[in-house]
Amino acid sequence: MSPLEIGSLIALSTIAILATGIPVAFGLIFVAISFLIFFEGLYSLNFLGELFFSGLSDFTLISIPMFIAMGGAIASSPASSDLYGALERWLYRVPSGLAISNIFACSIFAALSGSSPATCAAIGKMGIPEMRKRGYSDELATGSIAAGGTLGILIPPSVTMIVYGISTGTSIGRLFISGIIPGLLLTLFFIFWAIFYESKNNNLATSNKKIFSFKEKLELLPKVAPFLLLILAILFVLYGGVATPSEAAGVGAMMCFILIAVIYKVRNPLKIWHILKESSGESIMIMMIIAAASLFSYTLSSLFVTQSIAEWIALLELNRWFLLAAVNIFLLLAGFFLPPVAVIVMTAPILLPLITQAGFDPYWFAVILTINMEIGLITPPVGLNLYVINGIAPDVDLTKVLLGAIPYAVIMVFTIILLSIFPEIVTFLPNYLMGEI
Amino acid sequence: MIDKVVSVIHFLSRLCGVIAAFLLASACVVVCYMVIIRYLLGQSTIWQYEFVIFAVVSATLIGSPYVLLTRGHVNVNLVPHFLNFRARKYLALFSSFLAFLGCAVLAWASWLYFYEAWVNDWRTPSIWAPPLWIPTLPLAIGFSLLSLQFLADIYSIFTNKLDLFKGSPIKDGIS
Repeated sequence: MSPLEIGSLIALSTIAILATGIPVAFGLIFVAISFLIFFEGLYSLNFLGELFFSGLSDFTLISIPMFIAMGGAIASSPASSDLYGALERWLYRVPSGLAISNIFACSIFAALSGSSPATCAAIGKMGIPEMRKRGYSDELATGSIAAGGTLGILIPPSVTMIVYGISTGTSIGRLFISGIIPGLLLTLFFIFWAIFYESKNNNLATSNKKIFSFKEKLELLPKVAPFLLLILAILFVLYGGVATPSEAAGVGAMMCFILIAVIYKVRNPLKIWHILKESSGESIMIMMIIAAASLFSYTLSSLFVTQSIAEWIALLELNRWFLLAAVNIFLLLAGFFLPPVAVIVMTAPILLPLITQAGFDPYWFAVILTINMEIGLITPPVGLNLYVINGIAPDVDLTKVLLGAIPYAVIMVFTIILLSIFPEIVTFLPNYLMGEI
Repeated sequence: MIDKVVSVIHFLSRLCGVIAAFLLASACVVVCYMVIIRYLLGQSTIWQYEFVIFAVVSATLIGSPYVLLTRGHVNVNLVPHFLNFRARKYLALFSSFLAFLGCAVLAWASWLYFYEAWVNDWRTPSIWAPPLWIPTLPLAIGFSLLSLQFLADIYSIFTNKLDLFKGSPIKDGIS
C-alpha cells in the first residue's frame, strides 16, 4: 500500500470513527493506535507511553490552562456586565447603538477570555434580552452575538493561536500581534452590517430613552480599565519578548484572580474553587485533544503519509491561488464538523509547509485559518456558538439564530478574500513591530 | 454489586478531578514564583520549570476521567442526533468500546513506560534531575482510570442508566 493510499484510508476511518460520537481525543487515539499496530506491528506499542507523554510535556502548552483560567475568572465575575454597561452608556445615542455596544463588548471580551463560546455566553446573557426588549429583531440580537463571539479566537490572547503556534513552531507573540488588525476589521464589518440591517428594517428609533450624565459615563470605567490594562500589558510583554507566553499567561491568570478579589470582592473560596474546576475541565479537554493529535501526527509521519502528501501536492504544480482556495475550502469543511483546536492540531503541520512553499506568510495563514474556524462556529451542523445562543435564549427558534448569523459568515468569507488580495493588512503590524521574517 | 463498583469508579474520577484542579492551581502559583525569581531577583530557576510542566501534564491525565464523567470531552453528535433511542444506544456502546480499547492499550503502554523508568532509575536531563517515574505515574493512573470509566459508561449505557447523546447536539466548551 502506498503512503497516499494509507493516508486516504486514515482520513476515511477518522471521519467514520468521529461520526460515531466518540470524544474527539479518544477517536484520534483509537485511529492512531490501530494504524500503528496494523502497519508497524505490536512492537510499536512499546513507545506509545513515551510518545503520548512527550506530546504533552512542552512548556509553551502551560499557557493554555493559564489563559483559560484567566478567562474563567473574568467570565464569572461581574466584569462582563460592567464592560457591557460602560459601552452602552457611551454609545446609547448612536443609531443601532445597542447592537454596536454588543459587538464591541464581544470584541473586548474576546481579548479578555480568548474563547469564543465563553465570549458568546458572557455578553449574550445580558445583550440578547436587552436588545429584544428594545425592539431589535431576534435575528439581529442573536446573530450579532453569535458572530461577535467568534472574535474570541482571533483577537489576542487566543487559545487557538497558541495551539497553532505550538503545532507549527511559529512565534506566539507574533501570532497574537497578527490577529489584532484583522480582528478589529471584522468587528467594524460586523458593526456596519448591524447598522445596515437595522436601517433597512426601519428600526432606528429603538435607541435608549434614558439619558446618561457624564458622571454616569465615567462611573464604570475604573472597574473595567484594570482588566484592559492587564491584556495590554500581556501583549506588550509578549511583543517585547520579555517573557514567554506561559509566563505571561500564568502571571495574567494570577492577576485576574487578584483583580476580581479586589474589585468585585470575589473572595469566597468555594466560588474560586468553582472557577478553578470549571476552567480545569476545559483545559483538560483541549490538552487531551492536543496530546491525542500529536500521537495521530506521529502515526501519519511514521507511515510517511505527511511527507507523501507534501510531495504529491508539489508535483501537481498547482497555481498558488488555486492551492489557497483548495486549502480554504478544506478548512471550511473541516470547521463545519470539528472544533477549531482539533482542526488546527491535525491539519496545520501538514498544510503549513505547502502554504509557505507557495510563498505565503505563515502568520497570515494563521489568521486565514482562524477566520475559517470562526465560520465553522456559527454554521451548522456543529456551530457551537449557535447552540450557546440557543441555551441563553431558548425561546428564539434556532432557525432565526442561524438566519441572523449567516450574513456574518458571508462577511467572514469576504474578509478572507480581502485578506488574500491584500495580505499586508495582516502582515503590516507584526512586520512593523517585530521586523520582517 | 456492579452498581457499587460503578459508584466507586465515579468517586475515583471525582477525586482525580479535585487533584487535577489543585495541580493546575499549583502550576499557576509556581509560574508566578518563577517569574519573580527570574525577572525581579535576577536568579536562575532550578526545579520550577520542570515542576510546572509535570504539574500540567499530570493534571491533564489525572483529570481526564473526571472530564469524561462530566461529559466535558467534546464530540461530534451529529449522527447520533438523528437516530432513535435503540440505534443511539448501540452506537454509544460501540463508540465507548472503541474509546475503551484505545485507553486500555495506552494504559498498558504507560505502565510499561513507568516500569522502565522505575527499574532503570531514569532521570530527566536537567540540573534538578527528578526521577522520571514520578511524572509517568499520572500517565499510567490516568489511562487506567479512563479505561475503567469507559467500562462504567458501557455498563450504564447497556442498563439504560445513561443516554450518552441525549440533549444538545454538541457539548459546550471549545475555544
